[in-house]
Amino acid sequence: MARIANQIRTLRFLAGEMTQAELGDRIGVTRQTIAAIEQGKYSPTLESAFRIARVFGKPLEEVFQWEE
Amino acid sequence: MAFREKIAWLTLLAMLIAYSIYFGLILSRPEPPTMLGIIWLFGTISLAQLVVVIAGSIAIAVLSGREARARADERERAIARRGARAAYYVLMAGMILAGVVMPFSEPPWKIVNTALLALVIAEAVNNIVVLMSYRRGWHG
Repeated sequence: MARIANQIRTLRFLAGEMTQAELGDRIGVTRQTIAAIEQGKYSPTLESAFRIARVFGKPLEEVFQWEE
Repeated sequence: MAFREKIAWLTLLAMLIAYSIYFGLILSRPEPPTMLGIIWLFGTISLAQLVVVIAGSIAIAVLSGREARARADERERAIARRGARAAYYVLMAGMILAGVVMPFSEPPWKIVNTALLALVIAEAVNNIVVLMSYRRGWHG
């Protein structure tokens, strides 16, 4: 089954241990939503995906990967 | 636990308790209830439930702080839509039963209470789907 994987946990670590709450505040979602995205339990909208990538200064495909 | 998940738990528990009492009282009566009796009992219990939910929501909001003042984010809105969609089908089935099928064979008090039960079950389904989505995750 296809799923969307992501590197958010790693990128948060590399961004000085940015917390889920801090990332959530910067893109306008709750800490719980960031946790759900990280765990692959929720796929964000395209808009939020781009916002997350922009926070880390990375292209979208370095943050999110389509896995089959 | 997210603020809106706590509110969904409060709403679900309050309504299950309130309407268990209502339907328990209605079904345990030896005589069929009058329309005025139904309105009075349902109104009283609904009002009590509303007061409990409002007071509980205020308490949860105070304890949750900033999170309670924030607008629902995209995932929370999507979860709410999923709950409402599931509840719609339950409500539709209940209304067809109460409004189309039962008038041919059942007395008014049974029709009214079936419609009320459909409303209660639909709202319970709404909250259960919302809670499952929060607990298991969107793709769970």
